[in-house]
Amino acid sequence: MNREFKNKIREQFGRAADGYIHDKGFASGSDLEEMVRLLQPMPEDNMLDVACGGGHTALRFSPLVRSVVASDLTMVMLKKAQEHISDEGGVDNITFREADAEDLPFPAGAFTLLTCRVAPHHFPDVARALNEFHRVLRRGGRIAIVDTLLPKDPEIAEWYQEMEKMRDPTHIQAYTEEKWQEMVQEAGFILHETVTVPKTHDFPTWAKRAGLNREGIAALNKFFVDAPDKVQDYFQIETFAGEVEAYTDRKVLVYASRPPKK
Amino acid sequence: MTLSKDLLEILACPQCKGEIVPDDNHDKLYCHACKLAYPVRDDIPVMLIDEALPLA
Repeated sequence: MNREFKNKIREQFGRAADGYIHDKGFASGSDLEEMVRLLQPMPEDNMLDVACGGGHTALRFSPLVRSVVASDLTMVMLKKAQEHISDEGGVDNITFREADAEDLPFPAGAFTLLTCRVAPHHFPDVARALNEFHRVLRRGGRIAIVDTLLPKDPEIAEWYQEMEKMRDPTHIQAYTEEKWQEMVQEAGFILHETVTVPKTHDFPTWAKRAGLNREGIAALNKFFVDAPDKVQDYFQIETFAGEVEAYTDRKVLVYASRPPKK
Repeated sequence: MTLSKDLLEILACPQCKGEIVPDDNHDKLYCHACKLAYPVRDDIPVMLIDEALPLA
């Protein structure tokens, strides 16, 4: 990842860290429960949570596994996650590392479980990150990736990409379910299942969390209001008196594993 | 908190993926192969290649 973009990510998430830590959608959410259901964490698992953000995934899994290493590119985010987890109390098996998903600082085969939740759309080189995930996962190890889903319809997809970039300049690219299946298999994983789940966002909270100012929020609101009908339908955009109140996008969950020892 | 041995076992240099060795104060982690020192800030190792300091 180049230095300039890395600094942009740090600036974005350093500013927005509090919003992510205390966000209810990240702390719970059906995608997180789906991850637990599919991965079936076990007491002997050593887990890596890449791009841990507010630490919600690490915290959910920590009682179920032996240890969790939580990594993120943004030190401010890691410190806040560390504080948040220590406030929760009773958790002593999570450690934090500042690391780049595309150059992971772990030896080959170090983990039996790997998660990466709602982060890859910030990665400049997803294929490289997937190769790193494959390297650090032990043979037979399981992986679950959740990310925001790119709609199949090109017109809706284009609107979505533009909208996400307006909200957050560190949004690079979301991918369709098919593209995820292809990328995961190209990296050498066995694909078991992909699931998509709807996620409803409270518009003002969601817009503010990215650190937008009033003008930015107004511009984003207008972009939603002016969206073509099929975009309005797809995202179930809810407005009242010209203000967007909520919309619903989809997350894709990819469950795969590294092939076992021959 | 100091970085325990167990934790160092699951750390590697992000550049060469080789062994990392802590200094006596546990405030830096060295990769002798790449001649780089990775800082530790508030107990969190900063394992970023472009934040590492070159060793003399």
